[in-house]
Amino acid sequence: MCKKRVVASLMIAVMACGLLAGCGGSKGGSTKASDKETVIKFGIHVANPAEQESVTNNIVEAFNKSNAGKYRVEFVASDTESHSKNMKLAAQDNTLPEIFWIDASEAPEYADNGLLLDMSGYLSSSEAVDTALNGMEDAFNNGSIQYGLPYQCNVQGIFYNKEIFDNAKVDYPTDEITYDKFIQMVKELKAAGYIPLSIGSMNSSFAMWEFNEFLSRYGWEDSYKDIADGKGKYNNDDMVACFEKMQGLAEAGAFPESMTTLEYFDAKQLFDNGEAAMFGTGQWDCAEFDENIGDKIGFFWGPVFEDSSAPQEIAMKVPSAPLVCSAAVAEDDGKKEALYAFLDFYYGEEAAKLSYAGSIFPATSYSDVAASDSQYAMNAMIGTLSSGWTSPAAAPDQTLSAAVQEQLYDSVFGVIQGTYTPAEALDKMDAAAANEAVPQN
Amino acid sequence: MYWLSKRRYKIGLFIPSILLYTIFIIIPIGMAIGYSFTKYSGLGKPVFSGLANYRRLFKDTLFLRSLSNTMEMFIPAFLLLLIFSFLLALLLNKKIKGSDFAKSMIFSPAIIAPIICGIIWVYILDPNIGVINNVLEAIGASGLKQEWIGGDKLSPYSVAVIYFWQQLGYLTTIFIAGLKMIPGDIFEAAEIDGASEVQSIRYIVIPMMKSTISTVSILIITGVFKIFELVQQTTGGGPNHLSETLVTYSYSMTFASSDYGYGMSLATVTFIVSLVIVGIYSAIFKEKEV
Repeated sequence: MCKKRVVASLMIAVMACGLLAGCGGSKGGSTKASDKETVIKFGIHVANPAEQESVTNNIVEAFNKSNAGKYRVEFVASDTESHSKNMKLAAQDNTLPEIFWIDASEAPEYADNGLLLDMSGYLSSSEAVDTALNGMEDAFNNGSIQYGLPYQCNVQGIFYNKEIFDNAKVDYPTDEITYDKFIQMVKELKAAGYIPLSIGSMNSSFAMWEFNEFLSRYGWEDSYKDIADGKGKYNNDDMVACFEKMQGLAEAGAFPESMTTLEYFDAKQLFDNGEAAMFGTGQWDCAEFDENIGDKIGFFWGPVFEDSSAPQEIAMKVPSAPLVCSAAVAEDDGKKEALYAFLDFYYGEEAAKLSYAGSIFPATSYSDVAASDSQYAMNAMIGTLSSGWTSPAAAPDQTLSAAVQEQLYDSVFGVIQGTYTPAEALDKMDAAAANEAVPQN
Repeated sequence: MYWLSKRRYKIGLFIPSILLYTIFIIIPIGMAIGYSFTKYSGLGKPVFSGLANYRRLFKDTLFLRSLSNTMEMFIPAFLLLLIFSFLLALLLNKKIKGSDFAKSMIFSPAIIAPIICGIIWVYILDPNIGVINNVLEAIGASGLKQEWIGGDKLSPYSVAVIYFWQQLGYLTTIFIAGLKMIPGDIFEAAEIDGASEVQSIRYIVIPMMKSTISTVSILIITGVFKIFELVQQTTGGGPNHLSETLVTYSYSMTFASSDYGYGMSLATVTFIVSLVIVGIYSAIFKEKEV
């Protein structure tokens, strides 16, 4: 009996040790590949960077190759929602990656809590990058620190399939098309049996990029400034008029009937398949459109509004969500050196070329970098950008806190799905802002 | 078995369980309740806000809608599952040809991840690409086509049906295990006394399976209040949160809106509602037992 107990106790001890060893085995192993190589972690918002963010993946691979044995960047990858949660958890126990992507709605709070490195030090030490960014980083300066740098440059608007327009005998949309003519176009496309403007709301209410243009052309920047100063509300005449235009599109039959059960990717598929005539998105889909639609692709900013007093010659070339760096990097000279080297590369000319090659506009501008002739979708965007229309400092949805941003998405889809009236949708945004701003006790 | 009944062994076995239960269940629940009295975005320090989240909650029409959706899902799911899993167990407990194959078929949805169940059912229920509406159209019954999911009316019931499909086999298996525990000689005695099959069920099976019925009922109640993936996959809580349940709405508020305090107040209310329902059920069941 005693012998059995001894054997059992030994087995339990061995198993427990094995378990503990298993739990602790992976820690630290990947942070340093060799004594000389400094590894920095890059938190990214996709689960498979090679597939889903191939341009960034290519840039990281090129950096690792040219700095082999000295610096190495490793991805910490998970889907956007998990990434956001993981970063918050990491912030709580001071294990944030050295550099990470974060949604623009969340970044200011990280900065306010002292979690982010002030990048102004980096920018002043790297004049070439500062010049190449050409002010695009201003969207991520809170007046105290430069808390982030743009991940990429987002160009957002509406792509269209010329073949469908030809089949439906409808003129191609131009940047000067008025809202009334746009509605007429929608009706003609619908009558010809096509989905005029593909969009999906299920689990993808963020996919409302074309409406950023609507908001800007109804004076979002002024409205938002008034609201931020406590002088105005989202439910104002301009925004009501803007939301009424979205409602008008829905009433004209612009959107797929199954919008509520379509995700963003399903909606894009309708456009890729030639079932939908137009699709609102950004440059990140260019490579896919080149493959599926080829030289039949066209691009425009969306309709102009004759009843709005705000400027209408507005483009949407805006910084995408920022790359931010952990404040902890400042305390480790080795990490800081590696991080700065990576930033130099990421915002350098070689990375810009890789970016263009993958049909992504980099945040930087270099004169000798351009798209090739076979990058049809990107060239369509470049053609539209050549008009020189001004862009806001940031896309409207990227100016909001997480709660109000989420409500904006809900409100936009609420109006186009007929759940809310424009005034109700905007009241909900005011309520979300009030819940956030007012001390609750 | 003598040695297990010694006090020191009882304590030795009891303490690890209590410790684990406290660390992984009690403390997280306590923390969630604590956060529900704060304003917290997940970063920095939570700020105490008293009952503000609860006051907001009862003015929030979407909370009331998600509560109503949860109840609309709970009632049909509870009734369907309890009745059909019991009847199916009675049927499969008989030595009939093919019952083993039927058991494995009925149980199979229970081993499919809920997220996959959601995907499967999207292809059945989707108003446009789904099998049901397409079949209705093909047979000339277009008038019967419905927005099974994605609309603002039928989504909770559709989710209840999916949950029923997914859980039926699992709960049937529990009932079958319960039936196997009833000694066969009781049935033989009843048969000799001339009891019909219905009478055997009424006076032998149901009274002797009260604890199994109770277990299954509580599993259904707690299960329905935890349905998450099915809603996320079939409707995403939409359109405009109209098909949210308490759990998905809590998740949406906590993670999409980064309103951890409010999300935790929703989670706390969900916890309380499910406790109340279990309590009511237990009280009724206990009374009948007496």
